[in-house]
Amino acid sequence: MTTVVSHARFRDLVAAEWVKLWSLRSTRWVLGVGALALIGLAVRGSASTYTDWPTYTPREQANYDPMTEILNGATASLLMIGAGSVGALSVVSEYATGLIRTTLAAVPTRHRVVAAKLTLVAAVMFALSALIVAISFGASQAILSGRQLDVALTDPGVLRVLAADVLLAPMSALVGMGLGALLRHTAATIVAVCAVLVVVPSFFKPTVYQWVNDLYATVPLYVWRNCLSQLHPRHSDALPTVSGSWAVFVLWPLIAALLTLLVVHRRDM
Amino acid sequence: MARGNVAHVIEVNGLTKRYGDVLAVHDLTFTVRPGHVTGFLGPNGAGKSTTLRMILGLNRPTTGTATVNGRPFTALSAGLRHVGALLDANDVHGGRSAAAHLSALARANRLPRRRVLEVLDEVGLAKVASRRVGGFSLGMRQRLGIATALLGDPPVLLFDEPVNGLDPEGVRWVRGLFRDLAAQGRTVLVSSHLMSEMEHTADRLVVIGRGELIAEETVAEFAARSTGVRVSVRTPAAARLAAVLTQAGASVERDGDEALSVTGLSAVHVGELALTWGIVLHELATRTASLEQAFMELTADRVDYLAGERR
Repeated sequence: MTTVVSHARFRDLVAAEWVKLWSLRSTRWVLGVGALALIGLAVRGSASTYTDWPTYTPREQANYDPMTEILNGATASLLMIGAGSVGALSVVSEYATGLIRTTLAAVPTRHRVVAAKLTLVAAVMFALSALIVAISFGASQAILSGRQLDVALTDPGVLRVLAADVLLAPMSALVGMGLGALLRHTAATIVAVCAVLVVVPSFFKPTVYQWVNDLYATVPLYVWRNCLSQLHPRHSDALPTVSGSWAVFVLWPLIAALLTLLVVHRRDM
Repeated sequence: MARGNVAHVIEVNGLTKRYGDVLAVHDLTFTVRPGHVTGFLGPNGAGKSTTLRMILGLNRPTTGTATVNGRPFTALSAGLRHVGALLDANDVHGGRSAAAHLSALARANRLPRRRVLEVLDEVGLAKVASRRVGGFSLGMRQRLGIATALLGDPPVLLFDEPVNGLDPEGVRWVRGLFRDLAAQGRTVLVSSHLMSEMEHTADRLVVIGRGELIAEETVAEFAARSTGVRVSVRTPAAARLAAVLTQAGASVERDGDEALSVTGLSAVHVGELALTWGIVLHELATRTASLEQAFMELTADRVDYLAGERR
């Protein structure tokens, strides 16, 4: 029996969560296949733009946004569902298997465990999506440069779009974790993740009612599609603003993280 | 364990847990001391698991306190170093290997990696360390749960129904392990709904029924409470013999297809009656160790789920 009363440091808890995440074969598969698929789709999209460019109408050519090759509405949805599900499962699987009791008996200070899990999942998602976005951007630029369609990092909007693309995954993962802590049921959580992050927002279109537009402007996928992902977002009262969109990108994961902390802290196991 | 004069005592004080209308645990007070294996005994649904969960801070008491070393467990950041617990062998993720499961826990408590190999070796799972827990039998999961409890080399250990699913060799091993842990000066609390299990393992008992304390004493004291002497009989004509014995004034319980448990008649008398009626006996014995009896008598009016009728 050890006599030294040793406090586990926060980074030990984060490291423990890393062991838990990476020791699941399903995580490695989802993250690996997901990353390859997204990069592959970006390359394929860029290549077909390169090929079809001469057939584009002048209007199409004028409206072309090379940043959409990295992530478009469809691939962004895929990324959000994937990241949201991985985040959700990191929480739900603890409840579904009963592992949560073992985890919390080992580290009785609950908020530290939850904070470590939130940190680790968000960090992994950030790193992975930064890698995906960097490779996709590099590859698509290389292909598009053949038609002089490439952009420079210093061009207005380019860094903003890249940042927004990278942040989609960690944001979705944290929202997934919040939903997972709230629902604690695997199927219900996955359905909720898909509905909240992607399916419901995909029906949103700017309307003539300003209050509806304002409501839409609080939803991550909507503000990404209609503002943050565009090199030159249009200015209109009906559309989200850049600063408002960033606020959405900060508030959603923040609220989800606080919700996760609160729910796990208060509930009996 | 050079913990000097610090006693590693579990203290439960006025502990109450209410789930809606159901009072799972009611005003429970007891103390578990080091150096003994203490049996935590009660029928199914008596509130044993709820109590253990409250000691571990997993469930919040409605009123009352549960402390380990005078402190609430939830104040600790490295729980495995203070209390090792096996609550439910299935509280693991089936997709992880035994080694990965333990490694994560060791890391979270800043325990050296070699502890993982040591405990896997100790519980006999070293050879299957890299296999996924999903493919483990219940007995193997119990062993993994015991390995988890031992991981932090804690002075206090809690085991909830640890014998479930273990083979006879495993049962013998686990009893020896509990006694060894207690002999090392640790506090060991083992729950069970089977009195017979405690007979072989525990020195002291905490007995509860319907969430209330029934007894807190040594096993010997508890056994002395039993009033009736029991005769067990094994016969292929159990139904006929039961009728005969009941006729003769005994109270008879069926104990499976061929076994009867008789009170109110001596073994001699039962044997004579069987001869008179030409009934073949395969076994006839007086049960002197009547812990089970004492337990049944004491908990009879505090059992939540009786076969046939719902109280």
